[in-house]
Amino acid sequence: MNNKVVMLCAVFFGVLGVYISGEGVLFIEGARVKFASIMIVCITIYYYIDRAKSGEDIYLRKIPGLQALEEAVGRATEMGKSVLFVPGIMDLDQVETVTGLNLLGHVAEYTAKYETSLNVPVSRAIVMEAGREICKESYLKSGRPDLFYDDMVHYISDEQFAYAAGVNGIMEREKPAACFYLGKFYAESLILAETGNSIGAIQIAGTGSPAQIPFFVTACDYTLIGEEFFTASAYLSNKPELVGSIKGQDIVKLLVMIAMVLTVVFNGLFQAGLIAFDVLSLF
Amino acid sequence: MDTIKRVFISLGSLDRRIIFLIVGLSVLIPLLKPEWVSLPIRPRPESQIVFNEINKLNEGDKVLLSFEYGPSTKPEIHPMAIAILKHLYAKNIQVYGFALWPDGNFMSTEAFSEVSHQYEKEYGIDYVNLGYKPGAEAVVKGIAADIRALYTVDLKGTPIEDIPMMKDVINVNSFDFVFSLSAGFPGSTEWVQYACDPKNIPLSTGVTSIMVTDILPYVENGQILGLLAGMPGAAEYESLVEAELKRMDITGIPGKASGMMAAQSIAHVVIVLFIIFGNITYYIIRNKNGKDKI
Amino acid sequence: MLLKRHIPLIIVIGVGLLTLFGHFINNDSIQAFVDKDALQWFDIIASFAVFLGALNMLKLQIIKIIKKQKNWQYSILAVIGFVFAIFAGFFYRGANFITLSDVKDAHLAVVSEIVSKELKEPNPYAIQTKIAATKTDFEIDKIYITSESANVVIEKLKPYVGTIELRSKPWGTHVQTKGSLFYWMFINIITPLGATMFALLAFFVASASYRAFRIRNFEATLLLVAGIILMLGRVPIGGLIPWWTVSIMIIFGIGAVAAPFIKKRSLLLGLMGGGSFIIFVFGAYMGWNQNPPKLLSIPYIQDWIFAYPTMAGSRALMIGIALGIVATSFRIIIGLDKSFLGDK
Repeated sequence: MNNKVVMLCAVFFGVLGVYISGEGVLFIEGARVKFASIMIVCITIYYYIDRAKSGEDIYLRKIPGLQALEEAVGRATEMGKSVLFVPGIMDLDQVETVTGLNLLGHVAEYTAKYETSLNVPVSRAIVMEAGREICKESYLKSGRPDLFYDDMVHYISDEQFAYAAGVNGIMEREKPAACFYLGKFYAESLILAETGNSIGAIQIAGTGSPAQIPFFVTACDYTLIGEEFFTASAYLSNKPELVGSIKGQDIVKLLVMIAMVLTVVFNGLFQAGLIAFDVLSLF
Repeated sequence: MDTIKRVFISLGSLDRRIIFLIVGLSVLIPLLKPEWVSLPIRPRPESQIVFNEINKLNEGDKVLLSFEYGPSTKPEIHPMAIAILKHLYAKNIQVYGFALWPDGNFMSTEAFSEVSHQYEKEYGIDYVNLGYKPGAEAVVKGIAADIRALYTVDLKGTPIEDIPMMKDVINVNSFDFVFSLSAGFPGSTEWVQYACDPKNIPLSTGVTSIMVTDILPYVENGQILGLLAGMPGAAEYESLVEAELKRMDITGIPGKASGMMAAQSIAHVVIVLFIIFGNITYYIIRNKNGKDKI
Repeated sequence: MLLKRHIPLIIVIGVGLLTLFGHFINNDSIQAFVDKDALQWFDIIASFAVFLGALNMLKLQIIKIIKKQKNWQYSILAVIGFVFAIFAGFFYRGANFITLSDVKDAHLAVVSEIVSKELKEPNPYAIQTKIAATKTDFEIDKIYITSESANVVIEKLKPYVGTIELRSKPWGTHVQTKGSLFYWMFINIITPLGATMFALLAFFVASASYRAFRIRNFEATLLLVAGIILMLGRVPIGGLIPWWTVSIMIIFGIGAVAAPFIKKRSLLLGLMGGGSFIIFVFGAYMGWNQNPPKLLSIPYIQDWIFAYPTMAGSRALMIGIALGIVATSFRIIIGLDKSFLGDK
C-alpha cells in the first residue's frame, strides 16, 4: 500500500485517539462521529490534492456551463454589448458568494482580454469591495488596468426585491448580451432569468440553493447544478492542487454513498433481529 | 382540421404580454368576486398535524412564535400568523414573539395588533413581542442557551424584568412549543439545528411554497411536526381553526387565505392550459416540418 | 505584499481553523467565540460596511442626474427615496403619544368619552375603568405621526385633565412603533413594492412554463407531467378532478409510452379506447363514484411525488451542495484558494 496512505491513516487514528482520550477534559463529549467524519473528509481531500501536485493526471468531465463562459463573453464582444454579472444577493459569509466572486475573476479576465464592458451590480457592500479587488486584479493580470474602473462593481440595495428591480432595470436599459448569475439566490432568481431571456441574452447560472436550480434550468442556457458550481473555480484555474481537491470531493461523495448503503443494510439486519448492533446509535 | 391547426399554431406563438394579461385576469377576477368561485378546502395531513399539535397544548402553556418573513412573502405567510394567533389566543396560551429578520418586527407588530384586541388579550400578560436581534444562527443559539443574556428589553423598550409573563422564561426549554413562520434564511432550519432538535422542543413551521422541498426532509424525520405549505397550507389551517373556533362558540373575522385560494386555483389551471396548448402547437409544427422535409 | 496578501491569509487560515476545530474544544471562551462572537463580529463589520454601499449608490445616482445621462429622471426618485428613508429613520420620529394624570372623578366620564371617540372604542366605560385604575400616567393607546394631530386631542382634554403631556417613543423603538413615520413608510411604500415584485413571479412562472415545458424527450415529458400534476394537486381544484379523468390521463400516458412500439395507429387508439371503457365499467362496478381510490386522486399522486422522487432528488442535491461547500471551505482554510484576495 502507498506510504502516504499509511501515514495519513496513522495521522487519522492518532488524532482520533487523542480526541477520544481527551473527551470531557480538553474536548467536548458526544461528537466523536462528527469529528471522525470531518477528519476523513479533510484527509481524503488533502490526499488527492497531494497526488495531483505530484503530477497525477486527473480526469474531469466536461461541464458545458463553464466552457461556455468565454464563449458568452465573446458573443457580447461581437454584438458590441456589455456583460452583466450577478454574484447573488447574500453576503461574503456564504460560500456561494465567495465562489461566485471567484468566477467573477475569471469573467473579468475574459472581458479585459476582449475589451468588453462589464457590469457587476451587488447587493452587499462587503461583496462590492471584494468584487472590486478581484476585478482590479484580473484586469491587471490581463495587462489592461486602464479598462478597469471602480464603478463597474456597484451597490444597488440590500433589500432582495429592490435589488432584483434594480438589476432588471439595468437589463432592460442596457440590454447586455451575456448575463451570469453565479452565487446565492432566493425568489428573485426567476425574475432575473426571465428578464434576461426576454432581452435575448445568453445566460449562465449557478447556485447552491436547491430550490432555485429548477428556475435557472428552465430560463437559462446553461446551469451549473449542485457541486458543478463549487468546482467551477478549480475547474477553470486548472491548477493541479485545485483539480485534486475536486477528485477528493468526489471520493468523499463515494464514501458517503457507501456509508448510506451500509447503514441501510445494517439497520435492516438489526430490525430483522439478525444482529444486535444498532448502527443508528452511532449518529 | 387545417383551421384548428392554424389556431393552435397562433396560440403557440402568443406574445408573452397576452399570457401575462390572461394570468393577471385569472387572478384578479376571483379576488374581486370570490363568490363566483367557491372551492372546498380539504386540509392535508401535514396541516392537520400542525393543527393537532397546537390543539394538544393546554391553557397557560408557552409558545414561541418566530417571524421570519417580510413584505414580499406577507401574502403567503401572514394569514398563517393570524390563524395561529387566533388558535393560540382561543386556547388562552401565552405567546412570545421573536423575529430573526428585521422585517419580522413589522410583521409581528401588525399580526399582534390585528388579533390581540379581538380576543381581549393584554400585552405583557397574554402576549409579548421581544422583536428582532441581529445574528441569525447566533440568536437562535442564544435563545436556546439564555434568553436574558440576549434580550434585556422587549420591542417597546420595556425591561424584561418588568414584564410579568417573562418571569419564568430562561431559555428555549421554558417553552412548550415553537412555531416558525419562515420565508428563507435564517428560518425553520436554524430553529431545528440549533434549538429545537438538540433540546427536544416540539417545533412546527409555516413556509412559502418554494421552501417546501427544503423543509420536507425535516418533516419526514420528525424533527419538524407537520408543515403549513404556502398559501394552500394557510387556507387549510384557517379552515381547521375556524371549525374549532365555531365549536368553541367563538366568532371572529374569517381569514384571507381561503378567499385567495380560488384565485390561485384558477391561475394554476390557466397555466396548465397554456402548457397543454403550447405542446399541441409544438407537436403540430414538428409534424408539419417533418412532412415538409419529406 | 505583506498587508495585501500574507496578513489577510493568516487571518483567514487562523480564524477558519479556530471556527472549525473550536466547535470540539471544551472551553467556554472558545465555544462562545465560535457560537456567537464570530458571527456578531461579521454582523458589526457588515453593518458599518452598509455606509460604503449607500454612498456608492448615492454617488452614482447623483452623477447621473448632474450629467443628465439616459433616464436620469429615475435617479431623482432613487435619491428622494434614500433621503426620505434617512429622514424618517434618523430625523423625524413621529411616534407621538399622549399621557394623562390627575384626572378628577367629576371629569372622568367626559375624558373617557373623548378618549373612546379618539380610539373608536364603542364602550367609554372600559376606558373610564382603565383611567381610574392607573396609578401613574395613563397612556392613550394611539400613536400620532405629527404633533399637530396630537395637539388637537390635547386641546380637547386640557380643560378636564390636571397634567397632560405629549411624548415620543424613544429613538430606535420609534421605527417599529405603529404610527411613526418610518412605520408608515414601511407599511405603505416598502410593503406594496416588495409584494409587487414578488407577484411578478406568477407571470414569469407562467411564461417560463409555457416556453420550457415541451415534450421533447422522455425526461422533458416526465418533467411536464409531474409539473402539471403538482400544479393541480397543490390547489383545491385538484381535489375536484374526478377519478375517471385521472384514469384517462394515465391511460393516455401509457399510450404515449407505448406509441413508438405500436406502429398501427388504429390499434393504439383502439387499445386506449378499450382501456378507458374497461376502467369506466370497472370503476362504476366498484363504486368509485362515491369512494374513489387514492391512486386516482391528483392530490394523492402529488403528495407521493413530493414525498418520494422530489425528496430523493432534493436530498441528493443538498448532500452534493454540502460537500461542495465543505471542499470549497477546506481549500480556503488551508490557503489553497486565494480567490477572495483577487489571486487565482
